[in-house]
Amino acid sequence: MDAAKRYNRQTILPEIGEEGQYKLSKAKVLVIGAGGLAAAILPYLAAAGVGEIGIVDHDVIEISNLQRQVIYKASAVGKSKVQEAKLMISELNPLVKVNAFAEKLSGKNAVSLFGKYDIIVDATDNISIKYLINDACLVTNKPIVYGSIFRFQGQVSVFNYQNGPTYRCIYPDENNNTLNCEDAGVIGISVGIIGMFQANEVLKMILGIGEVLSGKILVYNILNNEQQKYDFDKSDFQLVNRESFEKKYNKSEVEEINFQSILEEINNDEVLFLDVRNNGELPKMSLKNQIQIPLSTLENEIEKLDKNQIIYVFCQSGIRSEIAVELLQKHQFKNVKSIVGGVLSMKQLIKKIKL
Amino acid sequence: MIEVKYFGAIAERTKCEFEKMSFSEVSLQKLLQDLNEKYQFESLTFSIAINQKIVSKTTNYTLQTSDVVALLPPFAGG
Repeated sequence: MDAAKRYNRQTILPEIGEEGQYKLSKAKVLVIGAGGLAAAILPYLAAAGVGEIGIVDHDVIEISNLQRQVIYKASAVGKSKVQEAKLMISELNPLVKVNAFAEKLSGKNAVSLFGKYDIIVDATDNISIKYLINDACLVTNKPIVYGSIFRFQGQVSVFNYQNGPTYRCIYPDENNNTLNCEDAGVIGISVGIIGMFQANEVLKMILGIGEVLSGKILVYNILNNEQQKYDFDKSDFQLVNRESFEKKYNKSEVEEINFQSILEEINNDEVLFLDVRNNGELPKMSLKNQIQIPLSTLENEIEKLDKNQIIYVFCQSGIRSEIAVELLQKHQFKNVKSIVGGVLSMKQLIKKIKL
Repeated sequence: MIEVKYFGAIAERTKCEFEKMSFSEVSLQKLLQDLNEKYQFESLTFSIAINQKIVSKTTNYTLQTSDVVALLPPFAGG
C-alpha cells in the first residue's frame, strides 16, 4: 500500500501507530490565513496525512511575502495564495483533500465554515480577526490553535479546547493597536518556528498524545532561545453565544430609532410615519403625518413615497419595518429608519407619557 | 528584589527584556503605577503574570522578594 509506505516512519512510533494514522486521515483542519505561519503549518499537516485541510485567505502573493512564506514560488507572484497552497499540497501529498477558500473571513462565513472542521488554526496577522476566530469557535465549539509573532518573539496557545480558556480570557481588551508584520517587520524563521509549534499542537490534539497547550501561553524568543509558559484561567465574563455573535458581527445595516427620541417630530410636516402592517391590525396608530402601506405591497406602491423625505417606518414589533427599510434603501431612499419595538412599544410610551 | 520581564512591544518601550526592582515588598498596583510613570505605556495593551500565572490587572497582590512579574502584550504578526 502506498499510504502504508508513505507514513511508515511515523506509524512505527508507538504513540502514533496505524490507529493514529487513521485518526489523522479522518481529521479536518481549517487554517485561517495563508501567510508565514501557514507556510510552516500546511506542508507539515499535509505530509503527516491530515485527511482534509481547508485554507482561508483572500490575498494574492506579493514579492515581499516570499522571504517568509516559503511555500510560494517567485513565478506565483500575483496569484491567489490559497490556490497556490492547494497546488503545493496536492504535489506533496495527493492523499490530502484540500479546500481553498479565496475569501475574507467574516461574521457572515465564519460559523458555517468552522462547523465543517474539527480544529481551527489561527495563522492570521491582525488582532481583530483573532477575536472573530475566537468568538466563532465559541459558537461552534471548536478548539483554536493560536500563533502570533512580534519581531523575534512568538506566542502559541490552544484556546477553547475541551471548554478551556479562550483568547478573550488572556486578552479581554479588543480595542488595542498591536503591530502586525507589515508594520513591525519579521524574519521567516520566527514565523516558521511558531507555525511549527502550531502544527505540533494540531497533531497532538488529533492523536490524543502529549499535553495540549490549553490554559497556557508559550512565549518564544528566537534571539536568546528563551521559552516561557504562562498559565491562565477561564474567565466567565468572556462568554459568546450565537445571539451575541450575530449581534456583534452581523449587525443589520438598517438604522433603527427609538420612538422616544423622535417624539418631538411627530407633528413635524416634513416627517412621514409609515405603517407597514396589514389593514386592520390592532392597535391602531393615528399620528398626524401617517400613511399605511402593507409590507407586501410596498414595492408596488413605492411611487407614493418621496425618496428624500424623512420616513420613520413601523410595524407591530419592529421586524417587518426593518425589512421595509431595507427595501426602501434598495430603492435609493436616504432618510428611512425603523422604529424599534413597533407599535407595541410606541403605545407603551404614549401611555406612560399621558399618565 | 522583584524581577520584571518585558515582552514584545512592551520590551521595545522599556528598551530592556527584564529588570530587577529594589523592592522587598510592594503591591502590584504600586509597581504598575511606577512602571507606567517611567515608561508611559499609555495605549499599549498587556496582560500581567506573576510567577508564570496570568492575573487580573486590578488584583490586590503584594509582591514579595523573588517574585517574577511579566508584562505580556498581544502579538499580531503572522
